[in-house]
Amino acid sequence: MSVKYTPVQWNLNKWVYDAVMLVGVVAFLWLFLFVSPELLSHEFPINPQVHNARAFGACAFVMLTVILCIGPLARIDERFLPLLYNRRHFGVMTTFVAITHASYILNWYFAFSKSDKFSALLFANTSYTQLAGFPFEAFGIFALICLAVLAATSHDFWMKFLTPPVWKRLHSLIYFAYAAVVAHVSLGILQDQQNHVFTVIFIGGALAVAGLHAYAAWLDWRGGDEVGAESNGWIEICSPEDIKNGFAKIKLLPNGERVAVFNQEGKLSAISNACAHQNGPLGEGRVIDCLVTCPWHGFQYDVTNGRSPAPFTETVPTYNLRLTDGVIQVDPKANPPGTFVEPVPIPGWQEVPA
Amino acid sequence: MSNDDKPFFVGYLDVPGPLRRFLLLACVAVIGIFVATGFLIGSTQDEPPASGFRFDYGRQTVTGVIELTPYPLLRVTQGNDLIKPGKTLMLTGQGKFGVDARAMGLEGQLAEVSGIILQRGTIDMMQLAGGRRGLKMIEGDAPAMETEPLGRWKVAGEICDGKCLNGAMRPGRGLAHKACAALCLVGDVPPVFVSTQLIEGSDFMLITGPDGTRLPKAAYDYIGQFITAEGDLERRGDMLIFKIDTDTLEVTDE
Amino acid sequence: MDQAELILLFAKIWGGVGALVALAFLSFGIDRLDEDAKGAYVFRPLIVPGILLIWPLVLWRWYILADGKDEWAKRYKPKRNSHNLFALIMPVLIIGIIAAGLSVRQTWPVNLAPVQLTEPGQ
Repeated sequence: MSVKYTPVQWNLNKWVYDAVMLVGVVAFLWLFLFVSPELLSHEFPINPQVHNARAFGACAFVMLTVILCIGPLARIDERFLPLLYNRRHFGVMTTFVAITHASYILNWYFAFSKSDKFSALLFANTSYTQLAGFPFEAFGIFALICLAVLAATSHDFWMKFLTPPVWKRLHSLIYFAYAAVVAHVSLGILQDQQNHVFTVIFIGGALAVAGLHAYAAWLDWRGGDEVGAESNGWIEICSPEDIKNGFAKIKLLPNGERVAVFNQEGKLSAISNACAHQNGPLGEGRVIDCLVTCPWHGFQYDVTNGRSPAPFTETVPTYNLRLTDGVIQVDPKANPPGTFVEPVPIPGWQEVPA
Repeated sequence: MSNDDKPFFVGYLDVPGPLRRFLLLACVAVIGIFVATGFLIGSTQDEPPASGFRFDYGRQTVTGVIELTPYPLLRVTQGNDLIKPGKTLMLTGQGKFGVDARAMGLEGQLAEVSGIILQRGTIDMMQLAGGRRGLKMIEGDAPAMETEPLGRWKVAGEICDGKCLNGAMRPGRGLAHKACAALCLVGDVPPVFVSTQLIEGSDFMLITGPDGTRLPKAAYDYIGQFITAEGDLERRGDMLIFKIDTDTLEVTDE
Repeated sequence: MDQAELILLFAKIWGGVGALVALAFLSFGIDRLDEDAKGAYVFRPLIVPGILLIWPLVLWRWYILADGKDEWAKRYKPKRNSHNLFALIMPVLIIGIIAAGLSVRQTWPVNLAPVQLTEPGQ
C-alpha cells in the first residue's frame, strides 16, 4: 500500500520470505559449486566456467519451477497464498541468477574469438531449420529478456502506471519464458547428458508446473464465478442469508466485470471484485477492522465507498444495489472508484452468535 | 469464495496460528527442494574424457615440415623426449584462432614450432606461442614427406573442433557445445571427426573438404550430431586426414 | 554475421531511445502522472531498467494519462480468461517440447563400424 513510493517496502513476513528463499538458493549454489566437485572427483575436471554456468543455470531453472508452482497451488489450496505474497522478490532474484548463468556462457563458449561475443552468440550456430542442433541459445536469450522485463517492471509503480490488467498481461510472459527455458534445456544439455538424474529432475519439475497449471485452470473452469441472472436491467446476486457476516458473494456481470457483495454487520455493500493493486479477488478476502482486506497483498478498502483508509489513496469502483423480493440485485453499471453508496440493511438481521 | 473461518493471511500482520505450522512445513519443503536438486544435479554430471592442456610438461619446441591440408600440420623431423620424429601435430593458435595465416607460405618448408601441448590420450595438437616464438622458418633442406592414400571410407561419429576435443574445453563436444565448436572452426581451428571405432588404429581424423579445401560451411549444421560420412582417407605420418564429402553427411537413426 | 550485428545495432538503438525516454519521464513526466511519485526520488533509479526495456509502452501510457484518456473502468477488469488460456497453452507446449527434445536425442552409434568403400587408387 503506497503513500510515497520507496524502493522496497519491507515487513517481517517479507524478511522471512526472502530469508527462506536465500537459504535455499545459497544452499543450492554452495552444494553445486563447492561440494559436488569433491564428490565427482574427476581426473580431468569440468572447466570451472562450465561448472559455474551449470550451477547457476540449474538454480535458475529450479527457482523458476518453484515460482511457477506457487500460483496454481494457491488457487488449489488457499493455505499457499502466503507464498504468493512476496513472489516478486523471488522472481527478481531468479533474473539475477539467470543473468549470471548467461554471462558465464557468454564469457566462455562465445569469448576468445575474433568476433564480439554478443555477435558470436547470435551467429555461431545458425541451424534454425533443424531440431537437433538447433541454436537453443535463442530460447535462453528469449527467456532472459522476458525475465528482465518482468524483474524491471516489478515495482508497484509499474502496476499503477500500466494498470493491473496490462501489467498482468505483460507478466503473462512468464509462461512463454518458462516454455522457452524448457526448450533451451531440452535441445541443449538434455541432448548430451549421459547421467539421467538431471533428466529426471528436469522433466519432473517441468511436468509439475504443467500439471498444476492445467489442474488449476480446470478447477477454475469447473467452479468459476457464475454470471448473475438479469432482471429489468439489474443483476441478481443471491439471497442475503447466503452471505455470512464479514464475507462476500462474487458474481460475474454481463460486461465481464466481477462484483463482490459484502455483508458487514447486516448491511450489504457492493464493490468491484478487482483490487486496485494487482486485481486480486477482493470477494475472497475478509473484513478486518471494518475494512475489506485483499487476500493477495492485504490492501484494504471501506466497502461503502471503495476507498483505502487514510493515508492510503487506492480506490475501487462501487455498485448500486437493492433488495427486491428477498433477492440482492446489483446495478451492472459501476460507480466511479471511491463513490459512496448507502449500504442496504438486511431486514431482521441478527448476528448469529459464534 | 471462503465462506468459512479458515485462517486468513495478511502480509503485514502476524501469521495466524493455525497457518504457522503449514507455512513452516512449506519453508522446509522449499529449502529441501533446493538442497536436494543442488546436490543431485551437481554431483551427477558426466565425467569429461581425459584431455586437456599440459602446462605441466612446459613449453615444447620441435622442428618439422609444414604441410597445408589446408589446415596446417607439422611433420616432426627433429623431436624431443615427448614428441618423437615421425609424429604429426595439428597446430592451433590461442583462443579460437588457427594458425593458417601464420603458416601460409611455409608449405613444405622446415620450421620450428613452440608451444603448449593438448593431449587426449595421444599428443596430437600444439597451441603455438605468439609471433615468431611460436612458429618460424629455419634454414635447411626439408625432407620429402610421404602421403599414403587409404581409399574411400564411410565412417560414423561426430564433427568437432580439434582444439576443444583435445581438452581446451571440458566438455568440448556435443550439441550443448555446438556453437562454440562452430566459432572455433570459423576461426580456422582444425576440424576433427571422432569415429565410433578405430580406423587404421586411430579414433579421430583431421577433416577437410574435397581437393584441399576447408571444411565446407554445409557441414557446420552437423557439428555435434552423430552422423555418417563418406570421403577419401589418407595418412600423413601418424595423422589421418579425411576429405569429407558433405553430400554424404547423414544423421544416424540411433 | 551481418544479421547478428544488425540485431545488436537494433538493441543499442532501442536502449538509447529508452535512455532518452527514461530521462524525460523521470525528470518531469512522472510527477504529473502519479501522486505517489511526487517527492519520492529514491525509487526512481529502480524504474530506469524497465523504461529501457519497454519504453514504447511507457510512451503510450504517458500519452493516455497526460491526455486524460485513461478509462478507470478498464483497471478493474482483470483478464482472467486469457490468464487461463496461457495456463493451458503452457502445459501443452512443455509436453510437446520435451517430447520433441527426447525424440531427436541420439545415442553414440558405437556399433557402426567404419567401412572401406574402395581401395586406394581405384
